[in-house]
Amino acid sequence: MQLVQGGSPRAFELLYDRHGGAAFSLAYRMVGNRVTAEDITQEAFLSIWRSRLRYDQARGSVRTWVLGIVHNRAIDQLRRGMVHDRRRETLDGVEERFEARERTDVEAARREDARGVHDALGTLPEEQRRTIELAYFGGFSHSQIAEMLEMPIGTVKGRMRLGLEKMRKQLTDVVIPGELA
Amino acid sequence: MTGPDHARFADDAGAYLLGALEETERVAFELHMESCPDCRDEVERLRPAAEALPRAVEQVSPPERLRASIMDAVRDEGDAAPEPRRERRRLRLPSLGFRPALAGAMLVVGLLVGFGVSQLAGGGDDVRTISAKVDDARLPTASAQLRVEGDGDDGAALTAEGLPDPGAGRVYQAWIATGDKIAPAPTFVADRDGSGSVALPEDLSGADAVLVTRERRGGARVPGEMPVMRVDL
Repeated sequence: MQLVQGGSPRAFELLYDRHGGAAFSLAYRMVGNRVTAEDITQEAFLSIWRSRLRYDQARGSVRTWVLGIVHNRAIDQLRRGMVHDRRRETLDGVEERFEARERTDVEAARREDARGVHDALGTLPEEQRRTIELAYFGGFSHSQIAEMLEMPIGTVKGRMRLGLEKMRKQLTDVVIPGELA
Repeated sequence: MTGPDHARFADDAGAYLLGALEETERVAFELHMESCPDCRDEVERLRPAAEALPRAVEQVSPPERLRASIMDAVRDEGDAAPEPRRERRRLRLPSLGFRPALAGAMLVVGLLVGFGVSQLAGGGDDVRTISAKVDDARLPTASAQLRVEGDGDDGAALTAEGLPDPGAGRVYQAWIATGDKIAPAPTFVADRDGSGSVALPEDLSGADAVLVTRERRGGARVPGEMPVMRVDL
């Protein structure tokens, strides 16, 4: 990351290689459209390049920083365009999914971590998992969720907080090699 | 230990971390966290769970053209200076393009008091919170802060406390001053407890100041009075 902050395009290319897939996957998961996901990922990475001096390792890993920027861009896109009636693409998405082979220790650790997070999310009570997914991946505000689920805003907020609390307790730390690089 | 008005924000930590608060709510919660250790602790305790969520997403390969497109743009910008860590721009007083009838009232500038700049706790380099100058002759109990992220190209949000009722059929209205031009921004009202907030979605990166006046409900195209608040950018 120091080389990126020093202005090395080659180092930035490596940063993209390391985190671009996760960034695109998150954007695609949120907007459900490959073209829009590409736009979001491109905007996010250009923003990261331009603001590279603002990264502070003390505030989290590079991956967390990158995915946070992608998430914010995707929420902006969702709320600006309200493309919540998104259509899921299928064929090309399936064809391009990563193969399941574990090419490196990093990928193996990430897969294990992903399973852990997925399991933690899956063990939440349905109503907590749903509010979290609608908020984080759907980009809906708490008031929109309250309207959709026909429940008080306070209940929605409470379920988000309780769900995150339960997830936190279930998650075990998985050290991803090179995550802070 | 809780901060003032904690009950109002007690359940907001989860929604905040998930990005589910409205912009003005998010700003209000972040301001509250500055004085509420309990909320800060809860956010930090829950943060790992929220930050884990994107790791559960099924991985999909981006097209190769995306990599090429990003790197082409990066190389094109290669020699351009990156956005620096946040530094305060030199304070300046723009000449204001108010209606001539109001020009004499510029003396009100002498009544403006209380300017300060602070960084949000945990906000890091990307966030500035700038205190507003308030005309304490007209708004004796009011205070306000503008929260700006980055260069302000994604806008900002203004939150105010201690606002009096602006009068029947009237609202508060924000304005963006850039050089001699003053552009209308959204209106907002004060709650019963005198708090109000407004999101300013416009690009503020080239703006000189954010102003607030009291206008008729629905807003005005040009300011009808000298500003009751002003935030120099």
